[in-house]
Amino acid sequence: MRNLILLAGTAALALAAPAAADKGGGGHGGGGGHGQGGGGHGEGGGKPAKMEHGRGRQAEAARPAQAERHAFQAERRAFRAERQPERDVRRAVRDERRNDVFVRRAGEERRDFRRIGRDVQRLPDYRPDKRRFSGFDGACPPGLAKKHNGCLPPGQARKLFARGERIEQDRFEGYRVPAAYRGFYQDTPDYYYNYDDSGYIYRADRGSDLISAIIPLFGGGFGIGQALPAGYDAYNLPVQYRDDYYDTDDSLYRYGDNAIYRVDPRSNMIEGIVALLGGGLNVGQPLPDGYDAYNLPMDYRDEYQDGDDYNYRYADGNIYQVDAKTQIIQAIVKMLA
Amino acid sequence: MKYALFAAALLLAACHQGGGGDGADSNSAAPSAAAKGEQPRTNLLQALNGSDDHKSLAAAIKAAGLTETFSGAQPYTLFAPGEAAFAKLPGGAAGLLAPASKGRLVALLTGHIVPGVVTDADLGRAIDRGKGKAQLATVGGSTLSLSRDGDAVVVTDSAGGQARVAGPEKLASNGVVHSIDGVLGSK
Repeated sequence: MRNLILLAGTAALALAAPAAADKGGGGHGGGGGHGQGGGGHGEGGGKPAKMEHGRGRQAEAARPAQAERHAFQAERRAFRAERQPERDVRRAVRDERRNDVFVRRAGEERRDFRRIGRDVQRLPDYRPDKRRFSGFDGACPPGLAKKHNGCLPPGQARKLFARGERIEQDRFEGYRVPAAYRGFYQDTPDYYYNYDDSGYIYRADRGSDLISAIIPLFGGGFGIGQALPAGYDAYNLPVQYRDDYYDTDDSLYRYGDNAIYRVDPRSNMIEGIVALLGGGLNVGQPLPDGYDAYNLPMDYRDEYQDGDDYNYRYADGNIYQVDAKTQIIQAIVKMLA
Repeated sequence: MKYALFAAALLLAACHQGGGGDGADSNSAAPSAAAKGEQPRTNLLQALNGSDDHKSLAAAIKAAGLTETFSGAQPYTLFAPGEAAFAKLPGGAAGLLAPASKGRLVALLTGHIVPGVVTDADLGRAIDRGKGKAQLATVGGSTLSLSRDGDAVVVTDSAGGQARVAGPEKLASNGVVHSIDGVLGSK
């Protein structure tokens, strides 16, 4: 900063010199000879006197210009002295701003951003491995973990708690119940609500910290008009739905939290829920509770009727054949999509 | 894998038709006959929109973003609370439709939706076979219990809230609607 002021001063002098010379020229007619002395005294006259002796003619020729310069310098000094309070205020504001925590943080963030940018440039090229998504046999696409309530992205799977379990507070640090749900799930003297990215709000008893209710939310707490949560980049629909819902330029389809969402590819916003899945029916396992009633779509009732040997149940786009005696699910006999 | 599955399906279907023709008993004959007679052209969403008693439910389904679900190809059974049922809620239907209640709305609605098509006849048969009780799993993850009270079918949610199936079912191209006189899961 000081250098800058010095530079500016030098520039001002350089500009002023020709002007002073002109003035000097004009000054002759005015009979300024004596007047110079006055000017010289005002500046502390020792210096001009020395120069007079040492430099002879040259000094004599320079004298009027020098006096002018001295006058100009005095004027400038007076001007600066006059402006001093203004400069003090500016300096105070600058110092204050420099010490301001937010301004400092913004500066640090800018530096961090530049640093991250450099780091990213150093990373090797990312090449998606197509083999990862070439097909899968199980109920969950690769990268998603099989849980009792469906397929979940990694990291979410481990965070599920059951009713009656003690809540682990540190799991929920940094999360808040999503804004859309806060109005309804507000803490009370008896209960408090916790949420993480597993797609569930947990209600816990304030005294015992035991979970007394689990409230499932769609898609990790995101609904229509909100952005698709992170971790759903890959097409992940269960096989039986793939013919009906496939990615196009206008719509993407993603499965999560027992629903299939239609997503806008440009904005990444969830635009609609196209199917709701129950989950829980697997070949080789007993028919779970809740499938007591025959529930086949009308078009398939003639073909698949409950009998002495087999029962048939519809779930999640499939018709399952169930052993009438053991109630073991034996096969998927029809994919409806 | 797929071929094996289809082959198995064909084989099973053939066996079933051959061996179990009579064994199919009375179980599914009635509803399929009824279905053949009607062949509904409207889907669930259109059926609800066309019903004066389900204006609030249709609005709730729209607010929850489920319109595509009910106009799509996947079949669902919907237990549909009427206007009187919504009026009984604290704050009425309007309270449920408020943006702040969206979480509650979604949880509430999915507790009324059962995968597949469960007709009146299917409900009755399931209750009879279960000696007075039957259970239905909802897409919201809860289970509804069915029982009889006189001629009426009573639906009980997991918190003990009850509603009666009122009026005839409405068959749609992608499911069936049962009108009920209470909102489940509101207790």
